[in-house]
Amino acid sequence: MKLFLILTLSLSTSFNAMAEEKKNTVYKYKEYEVIDLGSMEVKGQIVAPGDLTVNERERKVFKRSLLEKNNFDFENRREIENLR
Amino acid sequence: MKYLALTILMAGMVLNTSAHATAKAAFEIYKKDKSREKNKKIAHELIDGGFYFSAIPYINNYLEENSEIDKELESDIETLVVKTGTMAVLNLEEKKLESFSIPSIALILGTRLFNKDQLDKSYAVLSRIPETHKFSIEASLIKGTIKNLQRKHIEASNFYEQCAKKAGQQENAAGGEKNKRYYTYLNETCTIRMARVKLEDKKYEEALEIYEKIDKRSYKWPYILMDKAWAHYYLKDYNRAIGLTVTYKSPLLESYFFPEAEVLMALSYYNLCLWDDSLKVVDHFYDYYQPKADALKEILGQNKKSDTYFLDLYYADPKTRENLNPFIRNLITQTRKQVKFNLDLASLRSAKDELSLLKKLKNKNEFTADLEANLDSTINFISAKINYYIKKEIFVFINEIHKHSYSMFNLKLELLSKKRDEIYNTKADQQINRNRGSETNVNRKKNQYFFDFNGSFWADELGDYSFGLQSQCKEENTTENKEEIKDNESNK
Repeated sequence: MKLFLILTLSLSTSFNAMAEEKKNTVYKYKEYEVIDLGSMEVKGQIVAPGDLTVNERERKVFKRSLLEKNNFDFENRREIENLR
Repeated sequence: MKYLALTILMAGMVLNTSAHATAKAAFEIYKKDKSREKNKKIAHELIDGGFYFSAIPYINNYLEENSEIDKELESDIETLVVKTGTMAVLNLEEKKLESFSIPSIALILGTRLFNKDQLDKSYAVLSRIPETHKFSIEASLIKGTIKNLQRKHIEASNFYEQCAKKAGQQENAAGGEKNKRYYTYLNETCTIRMARVKLEDKKYEEALEIYEKIDKRSYKWPYILMDKAWAHYYLKDYNRAIGLTVTYKSPLLESYFFPEAEVLMALSYYNLCLWDDSLKVVDHFYDYYQPKADALKEILGQNKKSDTYFLDLYYADPKTRENLNPFIRNLITQTRKQVKFNLDLASLRSAKDELSLLKKLKNKNEFTADLEANLDSTINFISAKINYYIKKEIFVFINEIHKHSYSMFNLKLELLSKKRDEIYNTKADQQINRNRGSETNVNRKKNQYFFDFNGSFWADELGDYSFGLQSQCKEENTTENKEEIKDNESNK
């Protein structure tokens, strides 16, 4: 019985495949097409950047940290270490 | 001459007899006394006989086991602090020391906590010392430093003022040259601190007035040149800042190394817009200090495990010292000028003298053997301590060079950038009058001298040098200024 079922299933699928092979696919392309660029129109407004949009600034100058003497902690601590 | 020899012989005999009596009395207590106060009594006998370093272990043992201090013991501990420094309670832990409230222990503990950066605790401990006590001078100095570090400048100034005042009084009252010198040192240190607080508060003129109180012959004087140079720098008197830093180049101050002075000099030239001069100082810094830092690093690396190498360098005979790198020789000379180093060195000598005195005693017993063994280890400890001190000084110095190399690197970048701008603006450069020194550029007050520098340093002129360079900064070369310069030139 099992053998019979398997045979019928495989035969039915092979018949379907043969039927699909027979269908012819037809592709159709437009034979001629013209695009007139001159007649095309873009709707909108032309806005130029004004003073508000461009910030004028000087070139960035990178300031390096030069030595500053804000306190005498190092010297003061060393003096106490050297006390006795 | 005969009398001198006889006096020395007699003094030696008296000293020997008294030492013998002390050792005998201490031995009697050592043998017979079974009380809790045995160690205290032995220490007292030893201190009485001048065996200060031998007394240390007995005092330490007594304090370890007891927490009461009577008047006699307090006085003994004070004597030990004066004669041996912080060694008096060396073996005791801070927790134990906290339980005592006598001034001498409070000073040692306060200093120890300060050096461990436990500032609040240190302040509380030092506050236990009464204002009238002789150790209150050092206590005021440390308490002022704590407030200074915490940026409480008014309180810091008050403490420094108290310290200077009390030290000044003690200076006049103190007997003995060494004592007097120590109080002078404290007085000057506190006076300088008052000036430094003014500098930190940006009151430069007031600070400079305080610095004037320090005598040129003072041990502290070479150090305040740097402080004064910074004050003039912030007052925009760059010429005087350069003049002060150049003082370190005089032969009299050749053993003082201040890499910071080079940075300040370069910065002053930079602020006068003298880029080339500033660049020269920067390049000189690298040429001069780099090989020295390398030489020191090598010595440190080779002898880092030795407990005696650096101390031996100090004791080395002049011939051996001459063979050393002159820079290392000068660094040792500079270290020798530090108070702590000298105190430790004096302690080492006294401990060695004590040991030789003990070895001369006729009646040797287990007690004297104990004393000798203890003294031996004390001497080794002090030697290692001094050796470590020199090593640390060298290490700090190398770190200073590295720190300032970074500052110089930043300055060099800034200088190169300024020079690049100058090349772009050649027109502006052409307009600059390249006048070098002139007396008209020297800012001078009534109490400031002016000397021409003729290629040689004179001791009485040190600290009063000022350059007379015209600032080359564009902002300052306004039309009015230029006209003034032209007028001056035409008048000449």
